[in-house]
Amino acid sequence: MDILSHLTPLFFGLIAAGTLIGIIFGAIPGMTATMAVAVCLPLTYAFGLENGIALLLGLYVGGISGGMVPAVLLNIPGTPSSITTTFDGYPMAQRGEGERALKTGIVASIFGGLFSAAVLFFFAPVLSDFAIQFSNVEKFLIILLALTVIASLCSNMLMGIFSGVLGVWLSLIGTYSIMDGGNGETRLMFDWMEYHLIDGFSLLPVLIGIFGLTTVLLDAENGFKDEAAQGPISLKNGKRFSFGVFKGQLTNLVRSSGIGTFVGMLPGVGGSAASVLAYSQEKNFSRDSSQMGKGAPQGIVSSESSNNALTGGALVPLLSLGIPGDSTTAILIGAFTLQGIQVGPLFIGNNLDTWYLMIIALVVANFLMFGIMYFAIRRIAKVVEVPKYILYPLIIMMCVVGAYAINYGIMFDVWTLLIFGLFGWVAHKIGLEVVPLIIGFILGKSAEVYFVKSLESYGNFSIFFTKSPIAMVLWALIAVSLAFAIYLRLRNRRETRTTTVS
Amino acid sequence: MRTNWSKTSLALLASAAMGLGATAQAADDCPLPGNLRVVIGSTSTGGDTYQNSSIVVDHLAEKLDINAKVDAVGAMAGFRALERSRHGNTVMIFHDQSYLGNLYGVNGYPDIFADYQIGPTVAINPGNAYLVPKDSPYQNLQEIIDAAGNGEQVRVAIQPGGVSEIGFSALKNAVRLQYPGQEGNIVAVNTGSQADKNQLLFDGAVDVINGSVQANEQYTQLPEDDQKAMRFVWLTAREDTIEQTNEAGMGDTSREQLLAYVAPNVSVPMNEGADENFTFDKEFFFLYNKDMDPAAIDCIDNALAEIYDEGGIQEQQKRSFFVPDFKPSAEAASYLEQKRDQYESIIDNLDG
Repeated sequence: MDILSHLTPLFFGLIAAGTLIGIIFGAIPGMTATMAVAVCLPLTYAFGLENGIALLLGLYVGGISGGMVPAVLLNIPGTPSSITTTFDGYPMAQRGEGERALKTGIVASIFGGLFSAAVLFFFAPVLSDFAIQFSNVEKFLIILLALTVIASLCSNMLMGIFSGVLGVWLSLIGTYSIMDGGNGETRLMFDWMEYHLIDGFSLLPVLIGIFGLTTVLLDAENGFKDEAAQGPISLKNGKRFSFGVFKGQLTNLVRSSGIGTFVGMLPGVGGSAASVLAYSQEKNFSRDSSQMGKGAPQGIVSSESSNNALTGGALVPLLSLGIPGDSTTAILIGAFTLQGIQVGPLFIGNNLDTWYLMIIALVVANFLMFGIMYFAIRRIAKVVEVPKYILYPLIIMMCVVGAYAINYGIMFDVWTLLIFGLFGWVAHKIGLEVVPLIIGFILGKSAEVYFVKSLESYGNFSIFFTKSPIAMVLWALIAVSLAFAIYLRLRNRRETRTTTVS
Repeated sequence: MRTNWSKTSLALLASAAMGLGATAQAADDCPLPGNLRVVIGSTSTGGDTYQNSSIVVDHLAEKLDINAKVDAVGAMAGFRALERSRHGNTVMIFHDQSYLGNLYGVNGYPDIFADYQIGPTVAINPGNAYLVPKDSPYQNLQEIIDAAGNGEQVRVAIQPGGVSEIGFSALKNAVRLQYPGQEGNIVAVNTGSQADKNQLLFDGAVDVINGSVQANEQYTQLPEDDQKAMRFVWLTAREDTIEQTNEAGMGDTSREQLLAYVAPNVSVPMNEGADENFTFDKEFFFLYNKDMDPAAIDCIDNALAEIYDEGGIQEQQKRSFFVPDFKPSAEAASYLEQKRDQYESIIDNLDG
């Protein structure tokens, strides 16, 4: 078989190198899987298609997985799709359970990655036919469904909704770009801001500013006297990892991996929506979600299994339609075009060897990611033992380097980091809820584009309800998601009252 | 601590790898930096701009013995990077969108002929195409023009303000010439990427989409009962340009078959006498900072002239369905300015 001749040491070596480099990229705040793939893309020309793809898929899987490391240890999402990992990962790390949190995330990641690889292998053409049933209307409703997580995550409903809307508003600063079919006119700014803000605020600097820098500022405000007296967090204090943590988590794993794979299949919806959606569904539908957001492993399971499941999902439309499912696969497609190969609906049938090799590379990359991270994590988790007065300057430096590099050297991105770091600090002071705000920011722009495109295409509001049975199901899910969030809130309030009285 | 140190080192290495660091120098007779950054006007690495730029830049780097890297930063960021680079560390490769954006009044698109120096042209992508669903009632472009002329609304998915819109403008102009007053029946549905345009066609939300031979050819091979199946109705390239492509054409569509979709086989009149058909070749060319050293411009011109004389690049470009098209800077500038004026008149006709 031809395919066997491609399974060389170089092929596997490149997957391993890609996975390792990807993990490191993902672990540095501000550097993402997308950036790792973009930086290494020109190399693939020299390696040839099969070996080049092996490297890029390793980078992709490693990059997505590496994002959990700073999310858990530093409260900074390494990639946008690991934002929900911070919700439970960081509280666990603060309890000295960083290693447990990371290992939980790694196991969830490999489950999600292999789940989506299997779905890709067995169902790609069928699923791509299903994916194209999702027009702008259904995509808007998916994003709306993801936004309902705000209702579950906020501690004060009114303030949470206000913060979410504020996040959406901030995301709309800039232009409705002609690249998205807009008019390219700037909005929500003064003329003198146009030079810097024509493309709006970049997501990554906002994310690492509002999570990373804000945490540094809040801690700096309190000072480090307590830490100096008590010593830093000890890894020996918290619970140790055991596979028992996955007891009762099978539904969560499968549902979250399914959500990740499915959202990955929908071009343009974005990876962050997958983890947000999976997290909100776990919060709403699990038997006990009372600890989610305070350091519950189930939150990490849902977040990490869903964001790794994106990898296989995003490859579904890429390989069966020629349409990238997310920003990283949009760069991955370059490896094919650089070799003069067009990816489209006939690609799999015409390139069976390449198709099989991609599946092999994807599966191997997941196992390598697991091997590298699972056994290295004990050392990595020790970051939290580093005294903060040493750790924080290093974090700030990494954030600045990451912000500067994300758009290939734009200084305004560093200012964005600072602005949103300060904004996050002020938000804490005045009671704004940062998580709903950032979710609104991440999803706002896509929501606008799909909302406007739906109206442009169909010309009336009723289309959002009547477009298709899928749209109606999505409305039902939105209603159920909101109802559950309100029900859980009322139940918690009742339980808190009962506890207080007794 | 070791972990943090290694992360930091990697960050610095990555920055250096992206061309943010070193400043070596190319050969003495060529005042170009040893590390040349080539920004492109597209953010996509899967598109024709990246593909063609990579081919050209690889050859150029080898010829000049320098490091060169293509960065897919997009139009606005590209123009800005160019403005900041007076010493030629950064150059740009883009296509006709760069001046069409300005003609259509898109925010952020300067007059490239006034604000920058035009560099050499390097290739044509002859694939700019218009497609309909395979089961569409419209068999060819004339039927679309007639339908619009007879009061039927025809919705066309385009990305506004550039290459995608110019063919739409020409189509509208053709309806205006044949059926005065009816051009409003050709309606633009503004959207973004090729995926978005395809999706609108799958949804039945539009009747025609702008696409490309490269991106859409495989869809034209699907059976008619497939929701995704499409048909070409028009390629905007000149007949002469398509004749220069590989005989095998693209995918399962031969050059002979593609020629059926270009003028004069497809007629899109440009003026009252209908003696000239609209055509549009999407051309890629370099852009430089206004103050770039003329010696550096000559250096790139000469290097490219040698590369095209040697002939290897042509084969590579043709394999990827590009038509090699090298014109040195001075010739390219006057040629592109004329081209701009021609398309300006079409846009003005419609505005008027």
